[in-house]
Amino acid sequence: MTEPDVREALRSWIAERNPELPPGEPADDTRLIERRYLTSLQVADLLLFVEELRQQPIDPASLRPGVFRSIDAIHSAFFS
Amino acid sequence: MIDAPGLRWVPNGQSVLSGPLLGLAERLDDRFLSLAGRWDAADHRFPTFLAATVLERIDWFRSFPQLATFPVSLDPDEANLSSFTAGQPVDGDGRVRPTRFAPIRDVLTPAACYHLYDHYQGRAFDRPRYFTTRNTCFRREDHYVPLERQWSFAMREIVCMGTAAETRAFIDEATADIDRLVAGIGLPVRWAHASDPFFRPSENPQYLMQQVDPTKEELLFDDRLAIASTNLHHDHFGRAFDIRRDGEPVRTACIAFGIERWVAAFLHHYGTEGPWPAL
Repeated sequence: MTEPDVREALRSWIAERNPELPPGEPADDTRLIERRYLTSLQVADLLLFVEELRQQPIDPASLRPGVFRSIDAIHSAFFS
Repeated sequence: MIDAPGLRWVPNGQSVLSGPLLGLAERLDDRFLSLAGRWDAADHRFPTFLAATVLERIDWFRSFPQLATFPVSLDPDEANLSSFTAGQPVDGDGRVRPTRFAPIRDVLTPAACYHLYDHYQGRAFDRPRYFTTRNTCFRREDHYVPLERQWSFAMREIVCMGTAAETRAFIDEATADIDRLVAGIGLPVRWAHASDPFFRPSENPQYLMQQVDPTKEELLFDDRLAIASTNLHHDHFGRAFDIRRDGEPVRTACIAFGIERWVAAFLHHYGTEGPWPAL
């Protein structure tokens, strides 16, 4: 997947779970957890989705603070 | 194991304080209360029991079953009580030999601030609100250490209910105030990311969330003993207790002080008989 594809897939995943978001949101730098677009109930599902997108498993013990802060942060942590 | 005049250790995880040591504990709490004054935080004194339904709202029992302590009583049915008194109520090993229990509906407070979310449930605020409370808290542990890890201990908390920016500012201000306090008295401490002691953490999404979004910072004395913590809860309690701010679930944050642990830090750092720094 290209970088724009990854970003768009992540954006769609978040948007599906937050129907009140306007089209095009969240932006790449939107604070997902702080704005509550990503809650603790969804974070495990997002981890699975990221694994699917990059087709590689992620060890939950290796997760570092900030990796799910924004689409930018997710891309940088798992796709760069 | 620490030994100090005015400290009696009860090996089931409780301590008795008296004399100058009790005075130190009280002065520490007064100092924490004066920190709360910065925000005009209204003080609250809650009971020790908390309805189990309150903690069920935040799935506490599945997250921390190992910590729970319940107040139990005998089923008041006369035949049940007669049966209890006819036997040996307490055996030679100190174990109570109960007959039938009445239904258990309460839990002994595991953290002081839970009462505040229950107390203000259903409320709608149009400005930030600050509260403080102190309670005796109970946490079952697999081992105990005098003043440092107890089954029952005193906790002072200060809570902010507001917007995301207000709760963040509260944590920043509180952190700066605590830094000034410990610098003034010269305690060797540092802040560190921390997570709550979840049961089977790998199966708990809240633990995963704390890893990627650290919302808890602990003030470690001597690199090992957490004497205070700051906690940002996002809208966790606002949603669970329907507390709103401008129509949205309120954000909450708290700072907590373990009073016996502060006493322990003073005894380790300044000696068991004082003089201890002025607060």
